[in-house]
Amino acid sequence: MTQTITPLETIPEKLGIGEVFVEKGGVHWLALNGKSVRELAQAMNELHARFITITAYQLPKEEGFRLEYHWDLDGQLLGFSFQLAAKSIESIFDLCEAVDWIEREIHEEYGLDFTGRVYEPLLLRQGDNLGVNLRDGVNQRDAVAASDAVAASKETK
Amino acid sequence: MSYKIPMGPYHPALEEPYKLDMICEGETVIDAELRIGFNFRGIEHLAETRNHIQVIALMERVCGICSNIHTLTLCSAMEGITGLTPPPRAQYIRVIMAELERLHSHVLWAGIAAKLMGFKTMFMTCFELREKVMDVLQAISGNRVNYSMNRIGGVNRDITDPQAILKMVEALELEMGRTVIPIFTTSRTARSRCAGVGVLTNEKAISMGIVGPVARASGVPQDIRRAAPYAAYAEMDFDVPVQPAGDVTARLLVRALEIMESCKILRQALSKLPPGEIHTEGEKFAFTTGTATARVEAPRGEVMYSVSWKEGSRNPARVHVRTPTYATMPAIRWMIKGARLADTPLIQASIDPCYSCTDR
Repeated sequence: MTQTITPLETIPEKLGIGEVFVEKGGVHWLALNGKSVRELAQAMNELHARFITITAYQLPKEEGFRLEYHWDLDGQLLGFSFQLAAKSIESIFDLCEAVDWIEREIHEEYGLDFTGRVYEPLLLRQGDNLGVNLRDGVNQRDAVAASDAVAASKETK
Repeated sequence: MSYKIPMGPYHPALEEPYKLDMICEGETVIDAELRIGFNFRGIEHLAETRNHIQVIALMERVCGICSNIHTLTLCSAMEGITGLTPPPRAQYIRVIMAELERLHSHVLWAGIAAKLMGFKTMFMTCFELREKVMDVLQAISGNRVNYSMNRIGGVNRDITDPQAILKMVEALELEMGRTVIPIFTTSRTARSRCAGVGVLTNEKAISMGIVGPVARASGVPQDIRRAAPYAAYAEMDFDVPVQPAGDVTARLLVRALEIMESCKILRQALSKLPPGEIHTEGEKFAFTTGTATARVEAPRGEVMYSVSWKEGSRNPARVHVRTPTYATMPAIRWMIKGARLADTPLIQASIDPCYSCTDR
């Protein structure tokens, strides 16, 4: 008897990782073992998965941020988690245009940088400082400094 | 020579504030930029300062049209963390409330679309019909906007007279089939204003991750009620209307047909409403550390909530909301490219945008 392989089962193979999906809290999670978000986005495109959103988490103390990317594949909700040591991650906007607004929103709310893309004017609070959702003053000050640097570079141009 | 025409943030064609800057050449729109954020209330951040009861009241206020959907999705996610399962009667009541909300939302939209077409008689007909649905929602919940129906592990109020709701459903179905749908689909006014206007191609709808009736009107057969059933939808028999054209007519048709499907679901849910409890009375629960996610098909498409909790904490660690208009609104730029300036109010309204949901 031949066993049919579901699209979900092909994802680890496509990404070249030995992990399997684990269902938790309504989401099928896959540990990516160092694969980049761009490799993930390319795999999702090949499977015609539908991008849903990115959820940003500000971790306690100096632990940084976690981003959770979600796609829908035939009604199954997929989740992929990325721990950010620095305050940046590669943008996937050129691979998946549906991420445009959520990348801009996270950039604005948490001061994170999605590298390799151009930001249009701020989405929610045009003209305001970056990092409106940050929890503590230290991070907020960093974000304000980053925001000022972006403004200064625009003026130079 | 091109020039810029701003629409909004406050404009007669907009139900809520947002801004559309259109670059025009003559009467033709060449490109557009969207600005949102005029309703930004920082609700996700506020949610981290509310306990498990207060957060339901807060999230009900994300949107004034689909308030019930927000608490349904939030409670479903919180049930994922607490391990509570609502009893069958509560699952059916959740379906009934969700479909009543879809009915009033779609009929409201039909009225607004009629008004923007210059079809004021139809606007009044639609609002009269919507009022009947609102009366039923008020009779069930005691409120016309924020129903406070959902709680962790069930619902707060029972439906004691399903037959009375059935009568409203039959009256609405009759009126929709007799006047609203035939007029919208055959009248010269509606056809001339909507056919071939504001087209969103199937390819663009897929690549932009568009959801709900807008996606279905561009030939994408995607509906969370069917793809990942929640509450009691797995027990309901219904069709997912899909139209291939991607224009305003297609969006109008999809919503009109969805009204009929909602009536079909309501008839089934009301006639099969199981006996028993409406919530997990007296059952103690506790939040475990972790994240749970829930998705629901709102009138405008898929809503997703991610809720994180730390064991022993009074408040959620994080609540993230992805609303359908957030996914759909960027498509307005592509719908109005090449359109006549006079058609843009109707085109942007054809996605049935909810700016409060989008901004949160």
